Amino acid sequence: MRNSRNPHQVKKIGWVEVRGWSFTSPYLVFTLIFFILPLIWGLYLLFTNWNLISSQKEFIGLLNFFEALKSSRVHAAFFTTYKIMAIFMPTVLISSLGIALLINSVPKFKGIIAVAFFLPYLVSGVAFSLVIKGVISYNSPLSPIFRQLFGYIPDWLGNPTLAVIVISLMITWKISGYYALIFLSGLSSIPKELYEAADVDGATSWIKFWKITLPMLYPALYTVMILAVGLIFGIFTEPYMLTGGGPQLATHTWYLEIYYQAFSAMRAGYGSTIAFINAIVTFITIIIIRKIMEGWGKAYGPA
Amino acid sequence: MKSKMKRILILSFIFVLILVFVPTAQAQVKVTFWTAPNPPQEVFWCEMAEKFNASQNKINVYVTAMVEAPTSEATLTTALAGGIAPAASENIIPGFGATLTNSKAVVALDTLSGFDEIIEKRAMKEVIEGWKFADGHVYILPIYANAMLFGWRIDILKELGFKEPPTTYSGIMDVGKALKVKYPDKFLIARKELIEPTWWQRWFDFFMLYNAASDGRPFVTGNEVTADDKAVIKVFKFYGDLKANDYLLTMAATDPFETELSIWRDLGPWSFSGWKERFPELVLNKTFVAVPPPLPDDIKLSYAKTFADAKGLVIYAQRSKEEQAAIWEFIKWVFIDPINDLAWIDATGMLPMRGDLATNYTFDGVFKEHPELLPYADEMAYAVPMIANEKFADIQTTLSDQGLVPVILGKKTPEQGWDDAKAAIEALLKK
Repeated sequence: MRNSRNPHQVKKIGWVEVRGWSFTSPYLVFTLIFFILPLIWGLYLLFTNWNLISSQKEFIGLLNFFEALKSSRVHAAFFTTYKIMAIFMPTVLISSLGIALLINSVPKFKGIIAVAFFLPYLVSGVAFSLVIKGVISYNSPLSPIFRQLFGYIPDWLGNPTLAVIVISLMITWKISGYYALIFLSGLSSIPKELYEAADVDGATSWIKFWKITLPMLYPALYTVMILAVGLIFGIFTEPYMLTGGGPQLATHTWYLEIYYQAFSAMRAGYGSTIAFINAIVTFITIIIIRKIMEGWGKAYGPA
Repeated sequence: MKSKMKRILILSFIFVLILVFVPTAQAQVKVTFWTAPNPPQEVFWCEMAEKFNASQNKINVYVTAMVEAPTSEATLTTALAGGIAPAASENIIPGFGATLTNSKAVVALDTLSGFDEIIEKRAMKEVIEGWKFADGHVYILPIYANAMLFGWRIDILKELGFKEPPTTYSGIMDVGKALKVKYPDKFLIARKELIEPTWWQRWFDFFMLYNAASDGRPFVTGNEVTADDKAVIKVFKFYGDLKANDYLLTMAATDPFETELSIWRDLGPWSFSGWKERFPELVLNKTFVAVPPPLPDDIKLSYAKTFADAKGLVIYAQRSKEEQAAIWEFIKWVFIDPINDLAWIDATGMLPMRGDLATNYTFDGVFKEHPELLPYADEMAYAVPMIANEKFADIQTTLSDQGLVPVILGKKTPEQGWDDAKAAIEALLKK
């Protein structure tokens, strides 16, 4: 009876609670200022034709959505993203896994080598794009080699297919070292006994990779896949610097379109709408990839 | 003793309060001016602010370069949306000026005292007419205009047997033919931007030729496409022919004109300072010349109009009246004295917007010291500013997507390209 609590009694806030809130408050304030408030503001803009400057904001209902769904530029952004994804996903998985296996097999200085592979991730996208532009330019020192090999100099950025490949490979180079770190931590957590048992059974390295390494890397693989999908939907710097979205919208991405509408055409409301549609498409794609990965995980992943 | 101490303390406290809270007659107004993200312009404005601040003590002007993230328009837009716009900024193109004006974000400069004096002292009575908006007011004070010219490698032209640069489309094709015979790996022009949709790149290819071919006919007036159809089709066809004959390289190339990969390019005066350091072998009238755009063969004019890369400054309505008045004092101080224009030329290598560059004795020495600027000064009277329409980016992007780029790539005929582009531009203007 003595211990029973009155449900209407207000719980006294103690020192522990105050300390807890004070520790989490920087993150909460940051989230509020840089995520929650812009999100609410962005949601409001979806239904307006505001240009970010005018004091007049006209409410136009769903007109921005109708326009975006009919826009050839938005359609181009949609398909370009999946084209890049089709090249980027296998290449980044192979390269990052390859780097991780390579580092894992090195007896010494694993940390230094891992950092070396991670460095491209820190390189400025603008600087990297300028370097690539120079390397694949018509009068670069590599052009005579291409001419000798193919009989002509490939139009890397003028050909719609090649331009998509170049951008996909640039992002692969930049991000592989980062994903390799995730795979590396996955590799270090695989029990050595599994390999020893396989050795006893006479398994080849190839079989060990497919039957032990890859299934045991499922959690890392899952993380990398989800991160990669999110990344692809946010590509901006490389096509902005190299192609401007061309030729003929072949490399036009979601972020290029959002940027163009909000800051070149001065249509913040319409730009927000495209950003919202981009978020929905990203979300759906991530769910699909997640389902596929979970299915694969159930069939082949660790028990 | 104690009460005396107490009194001193109270008096000191009151004195501090007065200093902190009561504005004195001498209170300084602090204003911010944003310059273009171009170091020479930043140097000029910093120097002006320093001198102005030293010349009086009522106003303190703080100059900083706007961040190009990734364009100055985007930076200004976000600053306005966030309520942190400066008192004034430069680097304003007429199209963006139309957006600012329609959104009532800028101050009508012709309503401020001293405006007429600036216009009179700079001999800009005629020029300023072209900068008036629909309501008859001036919101942008034009600072400079680069009448865009084309550069020719005169050394290579002479090797090919041409004493002077061609002035017609067929003349250019003749040069292309001779070039391919002697140097099959060289190109007339290398410009990858011609197949990109980037809206502002159209200033430096399409509009240079269009303004010449149409004798400066407005591309858009109000919400109507008023472009000269024949002129547009001729320009489209010309660029399409250049590509079809392999005279135009649309692949990325590093410094193609400077390294003799190509012999013809759009040329603004901002290139010269970089050339002095990196390509000292490029000397006016020896290795290169700068000339007005070519004309279609059937257009007989003694001159050729071109595109004016013109920019100006605005005062933002978001700031207080006191700040607006203070920054206007600074602007007047800078623009009334022609000596400051000399400092501008020295710092930036660009010609200031004045109507008396050729007649004002202050500038006598400029063209002796910078002979490369003379063709730009000569062409200034024929330079047409960009479309002053709020939808400038959409108009020029549509022109690329529907017209110019597909024509160059051989996917549309020039007529088909212009029909599609015109219909799409008309549709977006009616929205």
